[in-house]
Amino acid sequence: MKRLSPEEIVDQFKEKFGDNIKDSSIKTYHIGPKKIELPDLWITVDRSVFKETVRYLITLEKYPHLAVISGYDAGDTINLIYHFFIYFGEKRREQSINIVVPLPKSNPVVDTISDIIPGALISEQEKQEMLGVKIKDIPKDSRVFISEDFPEDKYPWRKDEKGVDDIARNLHEVEKDE
Amino acid sequence: MKFSMIPQVISQMFKHPFTNLFPAKYVPPSVTKFLEDVKAGKAKIIPPVETPEGFRGKIQYDREKCIGCKLCIKVCPSGAIEFKPEEKKIRIYLARCTFCSQCNDICPVHCLSMSNEFLLADADKYSKDLIVE
Amino acid sequence: MNKTITYQIPIGPIHPALKEPVMFEFEIEGEKIKDVDVHLGQVHRGIEWAGMRRNSIQILYLAERICGICSYSHPAAFTLAVERIAGIEVPERAEYLRVIQAELERICSHILWAGVAAHEIGFDSVLFLTWQIREKALDLTEYLTGNRVTKAIMMIGGVRRDITEDMLPTIRKSLDFLKENFEKLRKVFLDDKTVQMRTKNCGILTKEDALKLCAVGPTTRASGVKKDARLDQPYFAYNELDFDYVTPDVLTGEVNGDVYDRIIVRLLEVKQSIDLIEQCLDRMPSGEILAEPKIQKLLIQLKKAEGEAIGIIEAPRGEDIHFVKLVGEEHPHSWKVRAPTYNNILPWIPMLKGEQIADIPIVAASTDPCMSCTNRVAIVKNGHRDILLAEDLHRLSVEKTRRLMK
Repeated sequence: MKRLSPEEIVDQFKEKFGDNIKDSSIKTYHIGPKKIELPDLWITVDRSVFKETVRYLITLEKYPHLAVISGYDAGDTINLIYHFFIYFGEKRREQSINIVVPLPKSNPVVDTISDIIPGALISEQEKQEMLGVKIKDIPKDSRVFISEDFPEDKYPWRKDEKGVDDIARNLHEVEKDE
Repeated sequence: MKFSMIPQVISQMFKHPFTNLFPAKYVPPSVTKFLEDVKAGKAKIIPPVETPEGFRGKIQYDREKCIGCKLCIKVCPSGAIEFKPEEKKIRIYLARCTFCSQCNDICPVHCLSMSNEFLLADADKYSKDLIVE
Repeated sequence: MNKTITYQIPIGPIHPALKEPVMFEFEIEGEKIKDVDVHLGQVHRGIEWAGMRRNSIQILYLAERICGICSYSHPAAFTLAVERIAGIEVPERAEYLRVIQAELERICSHILWAGVAAHEIGFDSVLFLTWQIREKALDLTEYLTGNRVTKAIMMIGGVRRDITEDMLPTIRKSLDFLKENFEKLRKVFLDDKTVQMRTKNCGILTKEDALKLCAVGPTTRASGVKKDARLDQPYFAYNELDFDYVTPDVLTGEVNGDVYDRIIVRLLEVKQSIDLIEQCLDRMPSGEILAEPKIQKLLIQLKKAEGEAIGIIEAPRGEDIHFVKLVGEEHPHSWKVRAPTYNNILPWIPMLKGEQIADIPIVAASTDPCMSCTNRVAIVKNGHRDILLAEDLHRLSVEKTRRLMK
């Protein structure tokens, strides 16, 4: 398969998904003693086409490597970031593609990709319990890291009233007062 | 080879043990009693393996040099350092110290340093040995 | 007569066969494993949450405590991400010093793993041999960093300790010891008939499954997938060094993806790491080791930094990824750690299916799992945690049996 440059990948994405590609940027890092260039691709997509973008990635690399889904509370939205790697297997050939999917807090639902990439399951479960997003049609809808007795509707990574600041205790400060 | 480990095991029988038998060749029935005997000169302790130069052990604090700038408190990852506002000096709780020596690096007057003392186990985390001030 | 009944046996969270808390639920038919379910979360500590309340320099030492064995890789990945956001350029010498530390950690980790694997199949004399070798590697670590396990060597913009000229003879001597004894260990492991009988064709992970389930590190390389962050997206000084992907076919000419292949990959990587350290010692230029020696200035610089980036490191167990978002405040806005075992959990399921109960320990150990890396979030409910007492468990168990009898 021909290796596309990061610029070509962005162009292809824009051509295929038009206005649903909200933003894209190519960050270049200079690494090592020789300061070689390493491009890092970030694309923000609308959640309506997100699953299609992953399907498109599969045309570039049969099994794209999903490193992890990270995410954060961005105020009005919850941003999920899917860190993909393609073209691995040869020195300095790998290309990272970070797909950002903003979800409105009022209805934070996104399609599962576990059916296309089975390795995404634990990461998707984790996002459900840590950020309170809903992964539609997730194959295994149970908690993975948080225990079953943890209160519903409290999510450790949220920065609003659904966060855990009110139920957390700062143990060492309590002890020092003694 | 069927039992590749046999030659190794046999040769090991004629060698000194690789481990350092700290604190005694055989485990004493009571460690506290053994330590008392050592103090009284009745028993001999096998010393621990020597630490190399630059080892990060118990922290040492030069009270006189300290100017009370609080920079060490800012970088301490575990919150082990407490500020005493009336004297403008610090107190370090070793029970929380992670021995990273980051406070040594940031101190502008170099009043903190690491020693090679590392046998710091104690039943009470607020014992005198575990508070440096 | 042909009707078979399956039984469920739980193994874990605390079990003599497992070194760290993880819970398996096996469905067993006779001796054969029909299905596996993995439950995580027994050692959650809330490290990311705590990190969002600390500044970047404090996080270095917090990250170090994610895992005792990868205590260099986690701060390194975090540093890489922060350096990318703040645009800090690391001095050349520091890049080489960082490689030396990373490879030394790999040696310690892989030899430790070899010992554990030998112990799991009941080969305890090898366990002691590996411990003897590892002790020297740890002594070298202590000599270079000031401590055996928590190295505290990483700093944003460089490393904290230099290797001076007078330290070189000791380092070379230790490396020679490692090389010599590694050869012994390699022979013991790879030529021994008992080891081969227990590990060949056991716990197979096919290349396709490894790719589909996004496995990482030696686990995926043993299945023939060429994936190594040191080569794919070089960081530090790896781009200047000569080495290649380690897959089992280098030695045996074939890839089976079984436990034996995972042993081969790890052992060959130990040799590769020794070689990489020697290359670094030879090629290292002289110069500064920190971009900003004044920590206070560095803190101010980091406070102003804004942006988000990922840092990818090839830890001993596989790629380790840290996502960091800084928003121009003292504390990072978010920090997500993805330790290698996180991705190597799902591959357990195809590996264990169809195996026998007695193979569970070695198959589970063959991915070198690190549960404290994977679990990081502590949960405290109104100050306490519900604990099931033994009587409760017994009651539940009786209830379940009655339910099943109906």
